[in-house]
Amino acid sequence: MNTHNPAEDQKWHALLMRSTPTFAGEATPPFGFLTSTLARLKAEKRERDLLERIGLRALFSSLAVLVAVVGFSIGIQLQDRLDFDPAIKSLIMADDVPIS
Amino acid sequence: MDAPIDVADCLRRWKQGDESAAEELIVHLHPIISRIVRTHLPRRDHEDDVIQEILMKIFSRLHQYKGDAPMSHWVSRLALTTCLDRLRAQKIRPEVRWTDLTPEESTAFDAAWLGSTTPDATEAIHARDLVDKLLSTLSPSDRSLILLVDLEGRSLEEIAQSTGWGISKIKMRLFRVRAQLRKMIQNLEQSK
Repeated sequence: MNTHNPAEDQKWHALLMRSTPTFAGEATPPFGFLTSTLARLKAEKRERDLLERIGLRALFSSLAVLVAVVGFSIGIQLQDRLDFDPAIKSLIMADDVPIS
Repeated sequence: MDAPIDVADCLRRWKQGDESAAEELIVHLHPIISRIVRTHLPRRDHEDDVIQEILMKIFSRLHQYKGDAPMSHWVSRLALTTCLDRLRAQKIRPEVRWTDLTPEESTAFDAAWLGSTTPDATEAIHARDLVDKLLSTLSPSDRSLILLVDLEGRSLEEIAQSTGWGISKIKMRLFRVRAQLRKMIQNLEQSK
């Protein structure tokens, strides 16, 4: 168990105070920082734009594929509905009934 | 205080590809971020890289800034979160012994004990290295908490506002951190 000892607290504060100047921030960016940050910023923006474009393209192509597949399935289904059952079809053919 | 800068205008210009808008924002935000990084991360952590990382985050999330509070508040929170994430990735020291200190850090320890005169730049750096060693035994949030109170002189209410913790939780954590620091200093004294 720790007993309260103000001497240790004082020491901590004294140590912190002695190091205070090292905590101060820089008022202006160091030499070269601005250039490299801007370059990185531009590169990231370019990459983001590219990814966005690729993503949009992928999205549109998958939508197109989806629409085509749905259209095809609906077409097949409609065609199946119009067709007679094979058994009925053979009966019709045997009796030579005209299919209207 | 924020220098007069039209953030919305800068953002609009940056989106249109105007580099000078980004430049203005970087120059405006650098001192705020630099102070936070220097306070909350150990001295030897790659400062410029961290500042750049924070700036990248700011630019990629600039559309989230609503403008209802000063931009410095929004930036400070983002910078502090990044620093804490970085600290979480580092290992917490179990303890600091006298043998772990460099001769310069030992001198800084004794100088603080004696309450000697104002340190020069080199002595301040050695004192800072020792402070960093002591702080490396604390959890990232405890480390930030003690610095916000003891170094920046923030009130409990201000800390509650920025962290979302209750006042009683902050008091309890502070009490625990102070006890930990006292114990570490006692151990250093005893292991001399």
